[in-house]
Amino acid sequence: MKIQKYFSLIRINIKNALVYRANVTGRVIFYFVFIFIFFSLWGMIYSGGEIAGYSLSQMIWYLCITELITFTSGNSVFGRMNEEVKSGSIAYQLLRPWNYVFKQFSEALGEMSFCAAVFTAMAVVLGLIFAGPLQGFPAAAVPLMLLSMLLSVTMNFFLMMSLGLTAFFMEENSSFYLIYQKLLFIFGLFLPIEFLPQWAQNILRYLPFSLITWGPAKMIVDFSWHHAALVLPAQALWAAAAVLLAMFIFSRGVKKVNVQGG
Amino acid sequence: MFREVKKHIRLIGRYFMFNLSALVEYRSSFLIQVFGMALNNAAFVFFWWALFDKIGMDIAGYGFSDVMFLWAVTSTAYGVANIFFCNARRISQLVMTGELDTYLLQPKNPLINAISARMSASAWGDFGYGIVLLAIMGVSAKTWGIFALASITGALLMTAIIVTGHSLTLYFGNMEAVGNMMWEFSITFSIYPEGIFKGAVKTLIMTVVPIGFISQVPMRLVQSFRWGTLALLLGVTLAYCVFAFFLFMRGLKRYESGNLIVTRM
Repeated sequence: MKIQKYFSLIRINIKNALVYRANVTGRVIFYFVFIFIFFSLWGMIYSGGEIAGYSLSQMIWYLCITELITFTSGNSVFGRMNEEVKSGSIAYQLLRPWNYVFKQFSEALGEMSFCAAVFTAMAVVLGLIFAGPLQGFPAAAVPLMLLSMLLSVTMNFFLMMSLGLTAFFMEENSSFYLIYQKLLFIFGLFLPIEFLPQWAQNILRYLPFSLITWGPAKMIVDFSWHHAALVLPAQALWAAAAVLLAMFIFSRGVKKVNVQGG
Repeated sequence: MFREVKKHIRLIGRYFMFNLSALVEYRSSFLIQVFGMALNNAAFVFFWWALFDKIGMDIAGYGFSDVMFLWAVTSTAYGVANIFFCNARRISQLVMTGELDTYLLQPKNPLINAISARMSASAWGDFGYGIVLLAIMGVSAKTWGIFALASITGALLMTAIIVTGHSLTLYFGNMEAVGNMMWEFSITFSIYPEGIFKGAVKTLIMTVVPIGFISQVPMRLVQSFRWGTLALLLGVTLAYCVFAFFLFMRGLKRYESGNLIVTRM
């Protein structure tokens, strides 16, 4: 019974996303433009062969997957947390019979399910157009890839939520979000970590920024059991840590809320 | 005509001083936004450094320092555009909500008056970032000169592009998404080497929506200076600004006030 309300929230938000499906149009265009620009860039760089262990086709698919993850998990949670805390509207949410952190996640899951469907279709279509079929794609490993992507989206969501909830403690926290976003960009979103020096790779393999993008993208374009065994447990640990972090910041921050009626 | 131009330049100057003093009033927030934006842009240096380091060759005739020039010009031009004409991004909103009425009642050109009315705090970070980046690269005096010119022409082009996009709201109803998209694309397409774009895309960014003139044509001047290219840059900038101006002014005849009472903060 307790968990059913969260499933209801997911269901309502999927319906909501379907009704307001036009909202995703702008992001679909941006997704296409990003893939097109990077296709043009990598097309100019590659003259056959591999760079950092990736062929041109793998690199295009890599970008399709990393962009799919970021476009699916979106970035609205940071702004929403910020707005709810700073405007005080969070007070209304506290009266309701749900866990605030999981309520936010359930709502986001609804929207993310719709975005996942749209951007997965985009990724597959654009990948096939710009790069052709992915050579040696192991269909048997698809469940592991889906699990990895789910963990990525979860980590990303709760880390951004934690950053948004810092609004409980400071007035201006947007620079945290900018820094986090850029860490994602440079440590796996645009470039696989194999492009970086070996010492950096050894560290980045275990950090959440690269596990969000590089982890699942590499698993899809260049699957190996060794990579899956390295990435999945690390992702699960970080996802759990991100959930706990968001709950901790919320529980500390909510004590600072002053409700003055109205 | 000349007196009118002079009066409007003075108006832009007044808005600049007023908006700057308002921003400086909240010093810590202003500084956080400035440094946050500079740090944000700096992340992309790392991307290009890692890429060039790994591939060990030029990309479409551009080396690392050439790409950094693109970034410097785009960043500073974006900064200048948002320091002086930040409100251009809100034209659709002003039209849709009827807030444009305020500017129509004042004895100045409504477009210049409306777009100059706001300043972005983080734009100072973009403005400074381009200059610092170029200083770190240690470029020649000639490159500095082209950079200074391109920062102004680039800012004017970016503003003209966004005014064009948002002016469509006066003709076809709410076109805010189109205006915002043109704005985003004017940045996205300016920070990559010219040579990677081919065919229809290249034609588009060199003609209808002249994004290529923001940073890529100035880069041509750095690589090989030609008076003809310089004249083309200045001519296209002037022509597109005039086009955007008249597109807005013509569309303004279709504008209908919503009788909305607003407080201008």
